[in-house]
Amino acid sequence: MKEVKIPKKIEKLIRENGEADEEIIASSASDMNVACEYADGYVVLTSKALYVFASESDSKQVHLFKGAIVKKDEDTEDDKEWHVRRFPADDYKKLTIEPQVACSLLVITDNEDVERTLTVFSNLHRKSMFKLSREFAHLPGKEEKGEGPGGPGRGFGGPHGHGRGGDGEGEDYCPKCGRMYPNPERKVCPHCIDRKTIFTRTLKYFGPYKIRIVALIIMYTLVAALNLVWPYLNGTVLYDYVLKKNLEFLPNIGLRNANIMTALLLVIITMFAAKLVQQLLNILQGATTAKIVADVVCDMKKSIFDSMGKLSISFFKNRQTGSLMTRVLNDADRVTSFFIDDVPYIFIHSITLVTTVLVMVRINWQMALASMFLLPISFIFSFKFRPKFWNAFGRRHRAERSVNNQVNDNLTGARVVKAFGQEKKEEHRFSSANTRLKDTEMSIVRLDNIFSAIFQLTHNAAGIIIWCMGAFFILNKGTMALGILVTFIGYTNQLDGPMRFMSRVFRSWSDSMNAAQRMFEIIDAVPEILEDENPVPLDNPKGDIELRNVTFGYEINRPVLKNVSLNIPAGSMLGIVGRSGAGKTTLVNLISRMYDPNEGQILFDGIDIKHISFHDLRRNVAMVSQETYIFMGTIEENIAYANPNAAKAEIIRAAKLASAHDFILRMPDGYNTVVGSSGRQLSGGERQRISIARAILADPKILILDEATASVDTETERAIQASINYLIKGRTTIYIAHRLSTLRDADFLCVIDNGEITERGTHAELEALRGTYYKLMELQTKALALKE
Amino acid sequence: MEDKEFNLEQMEKETEEMLKINILNPAEAKFFRTKGGFAGLKVKEEEYPRVQVVRMFPFTDPEHYISIRTVEERSKEIGIIEDMSKIDAETRALLLEQLNLRYFTPVITKIINIKDLHGFAYFDVLTDRGECRFTIHMGGGAVVHLSETRVIITDLDENRFEIPDIMKLSANERKKLDLFL
Ligand SMILES: Nc1ncnc2c1ncn2[C@@H]1O[C@H](COP(=O)(O)OP(=O)(O)OP(=O)(O)O)[C@@H](O)[C@H]1O
Ligand SMILES: [Mg+2]
Repeated sequence: MKEVKIPKKIEKLIRENGEADEEIIASSASDMNVACEYADGYVVLTSKALYVFASESDSKQVHLFKGAIVKKDEDTEDDKEWHVRRFPADDYKKLTIEPQVACSLLVITDNEDVERTLTVFSNLHRKSMFKLSREFAHLPGKEEKGEGPGGPGRGFGGPHGHGRGGDGEGEDYCPKCGRMYPNPERKVCPHCIDRKTIFTRTLKYFGPYKIRIVALIIMYTLVAALNLVWPYLNGTVLYDYVLKKNLEFLPNIGLRNANIMTALLLVIITMFAAKLVQQLLNILQGATTAKIVADVVCDMKKSIFDSMGKLSISFFKNRQTGSLMTRVLNDADRVTSFFIDDVPYIFIHSITLVTTVLVMVRINWQMALASMFLLPISFIFSFKFRPKFWNAFGRRHRAERSVNNQVNDNLTGARVVKAFGQEKKEEHRFSSANTRLKDTEMSIVRLDNIFSAIFQLTHNAAGIIIWCMGAFFILNKGTMALGILVTFIGYTNQLDGPMRFMSRVFRSWSDSMNAAQRMFEIIDAVPEILEDENPVPLDNPKGDIELRNVTFGYEINRPVLKNVSLNIPAGSMLGIVGRSGAGKTTLVNLISRMYDPNEGQILFDGIDIKHISFHDLRRNVAMVSQETYIFMGTIEENIAYANPNAAKAEIIRAAKLASAHDFILRMPDGYNTVVGSSGRQLSGGERQRISIARAILADPKILILDEATASVDTETERAIQASINYLIKGRTTIYIAHRLSTLRDADFLCVIDNGEITERGTHAELEALRGTYYKLMELQTKALALKE
Repeated sequence: MEDKEFNLEQMEKETEEMLKINILNPAEAKFFRTKGGFAGLKVKEEEYPRVQVVRMFPFTDPEHYISIRTVEERSKEIGIIEDMSKIDAETRALLLEQLNLRYFTPVITKIINIKDLHGFAYFDVLTDRGECRFTIHMGGGAVVHLSETRVIITDLDENRFEIPDIMKLSANERKKLDLFL
């Protein structure tokens, strides 16, 4: 355990102040003082004493937290004045960490029971401090003394060593820029991430539709070409040649002796054909586009949904359902719209723009210049507006999210809303979220309008200038024919599309990339619970479970399970009792690997469950949880959820064992009754029994029942009890129950209190102990007796 | 748990005690500073060598309804101080010291920069405790609105930072924060 990294100066001070043979065991940095100011410090534990180093608080110093910390190469702190305090280990019996709301105190208790705060630290140093305090508890002679309430190294140290090579904090830095990884589990530095930008990644989704996209581009090019010819036909050919009876051009197109009417007819037919082809192309284009969009959006949604499925429970805890729904439902559409409505046009419009300008310059460069000089203006505006649009779209997303949340909340909680008559209040809450959404939409429209106005202005100005110039050229100098002017104006109008597009492209870009970024956030999210790449195969498992010094908390500052060690031999039944909120569900959640322990290990047949594949683990561990969930579908499907190929007879047997068979048959559609959110509602006890049947059918080696019969009546419970007795043969069973009578068949029991196992043993042993179990038992029997 | 015999009456008494709202009378409740700098309490004949001081409404009413509790993890309420301004200055100072430690939250006075990168936002801010740089998760519940203008920001390690009034920030700073409002 030599991952300790302390500045040389600190080490020197220890040598100076301490005894010769002191060995450094653990250390941690701290960042605050008792007066709640930020100030650097260190706490070092040696084999003989605890050292606390404090420095003056420096208001100019920048305080870095996770994600911002940059790895230091040398000891930069060498110029700091350190104030040293030494606490001989023999004079103190306990070193505890007292979590506050957003920081923690390191408190030492001397042999006279006086408690002192040594230092204060932010959550950044929590991990190393916890380690240090545990090491203190493991110093020779501390083991029993440190067992009082509130001690960190408390109680059940168990027979196993505490040694788990610490994950040194030194590894958590990006090698490129030296910043600490924001998420140490996922060694990716957002600053140095491989710049496979959002754009190119999104483009990948279009990969499978290459052929259609090529076809689309060809169509676009054809339309662009036709666009280019149109003003020429309509202007120069029609006005200057045909209408002026100038037939010199006829031989050029292979008609030697045609008269003017044929020529006119020909021009008109060509013009008509050009328009027709253009229309046809447009229709075809529309259809192709629609098909590509639909496919790509569908693919994107699928990949978002798939990624969400892989993520761990904790991911969902941190995000609101509404936010996730928005991502699946809206974001994919938004992402694609840019790629379909804009990306091809970048290409097309650029061609049109360049060729048109070239033609225009050839006709009359002065006028061409005049029509062009306003283009950069709208382009620059568009570019400048980009961040505004980006933020507006981000805001709209958040507003959408809160509307979705509100709806979701109300639909799931409809019963409560009705029961308390709070419809008005909910309406109000919804309308305020809805108004916010409207406001964000409005602000986007406002931005859009500013944009159109600027664009129209430049466009109209350019038009007027050109007309004036044209008139001037025709009247004054006679250098230009009317037809040429018409052609020219036609080309100016051709510029309209590209210009409008260029002025809007950044807006669409913002919209799309904003959504894409959110999409990739989910697709890229790495599950906190990772499957081992080379899992240890589980053939014919026995079903031994062992917890070794497991510590776990949902939140950083609040361990829910503290140093729990437990051994459940294969085939036995363990009963767990304890107060509500003691950590029982948490314990079994860890066994089924919904979460990973912060410290310690969980072993299945001697193999750390982290090394077992999800498939093996899920197949062998089945849980009937406290919160039953019934999926949309028939009862049959619900029971066979984990095992869709189960035979009818097996399903019936499972239902019978769970005492569900009879109530199922009382429903008109029997096993085919549709239940779940869109179907028939089941009672709490009915749902529980279906969940039990589901677990039974899964036929696991390890069966976990968490308050599985809490909502059924005593009689049904007895029946289920009987079948469970039958079921537990050949499996390891963990049974959590408040009603102690449920647990009378357990081989042994344990009482969890405050995240620790406070009592364990057989029923008789616990009774003899006269502790919590005894108290609960007496209470339940006496309460029953009182009623009678 | 001293009394190992099961005693229903005692349990009922405990339950009753648990249900009672016990307002501490300043004349009876004597707070004192412990040797190690914590707060202790003596109420009538009962002495608590150390107590915990907890706000019931830390955000909406920090000066009223202060719960005085025993220190064990499953702590019990000893009593309630209804109004901090009604107690003597010395006691108030002692309790405030405890409260300040417990609710330590730097207050953001100026936003220097916010950078939004791949699902994380990097903050560089000035607080009443000096400049801080921290990182939050985007898209989660890292930024919580306590009211229209009051915001609590929680970093990756669950350290907290507070902006008591967004309107007090400059328009430019608000714009940087816009993404989270
Ligand atoms: N997802 C979660 N996030 C944060 N805290 C949680 C979460 N789930 C449970 N907790 C907290 O962890 C503690 C233990 O919860 P747990 O569900 O394990 O209790 P339990 O013993 O099963 O209680 P009960 O008998 O009421 O089911 C509780 O204080 C609870 O508030
Ligand atoms: Mg539970």
